[in-house]
Amino acid sequence: MEPRATRGRREWMAVLARTPREALQHALEAALEGARVPDYEWLRAPDIGLAMVRGRIGGTGDAFNLGETTVTRATLRLIADDGSAPVGVAVHMGRDKERATLAALADALLQMPRFADKLQTQLIEPLAARIADERRRKEAEAAATKVEFFTMVRGE
Amino acid sequence: MRIDMTTLVPGFNDTVHDAQRVFRALLDALSRPGSIVAIDAALPDNHAMRDGLAGRVPLAAFASLLALTDYSTPVFIEREDNVLGDALRFHASARLTRDRREAAFVYIDDARDMPSLDAFSHGEPESPEHAATLFIHVPSLTEGEPLVWSGPGIAQSRSVAIAGLSRKFWRQRAALTALFPCGIDCYFVAGGALVGLPRTTQVEVN
Repeated sequence: MEPRATRGRREWMAVLARTPREALQHALEAALEGARVPDYEWLRAPDIGLAMVRGRIGGTGDAFNLGETTVTRATLRLIADDGSAPVGVAVHMGRDKERATLAALADALLQMPRFADKLQTQLIEPLAARIADERRRKEAEAAATKVEFFTMVRGE
Repeated sequence: MRIDMTTLVPGFNDTVHDAQRVFRALLDALSRPGSIVAIDAALPDNHAMRDGLAGRVPLAAFASLLALTDYSTPVFIEREDNVLGDALRFHASARLTRDRREAAFVYIDDARDMPSLDAFSHGEPESPEHAATLFIHVPSLTEGEPLVWSGPGIAQSRSVAIAGLSRKFWRQRAALTALFPCGIDCYFVAGGALVGLPRTTQVEVN
């Protein structure tokens, strides 16, 4: 069983990875309520690279290389005044370094007890709800195009 | 093993260009054996990295290993050092090994405590490029016993005074020159500077 903290972090990182930059920026600003963002140092400044996306058709198909996608990654370490040094990580699809920076910052702040609760309720939960809404909307769209196939039973 | 993020030190500021400048300096060091090459000059204002491993591992060795290693080059660290190892794994995706013979790059923290050079790969006549490259931390590049170096890259001969190396090392090294094109390339590292000793250089041991 993995520790709760790890599970929580996995969940919020999944949310951060799916959030566009503007939404992330506004939510982070709102959640911090003007509080000063602690200084940070780069362990890995945002850089852009390629990653191979692998796919599989159906549950039984062999994995194949679908194509390459750009990936931006960043790792930073906060220099917090309470002596802790949480490390924030972001690995995102696309080439938006600013977005990776914001997400890494949010990840690090979420590990600090001082910011954790506020960010969880004001940043992660609304963004998670947004992603869930979007997903439901898409599912509804897809459901409307569902075609039912019937087989006529031949009479005896 | 997990990388310890709390003690992780920053790497190059500008990965591509810093690595290129360091690589160029390392190339110069091997093309002119015995000359002192400043690696720190290749890293202007890279304060984050200069402070990171200060006192533990010389900047020249850390920067060189960051520039040279990647996932395909096993690195052997003679005296296990998790901070250096983690930094190389994180920034360069290097693979650490505990097998001297497998190592492509080796960092030796203490020149007085050198393992035998026979423990490392000398390459094969068909693939001499598989030989190990050693980075040896020495107390000084100028204050040791002067030895006469000659060979490609040196006009006549030159006197080089690397400190801290035993006579045994020089004798083992001299025995390897007969194996050319196989052999071992060395860098002697002190602070921000290093001296290259390629396998082609003859060192007179008296």
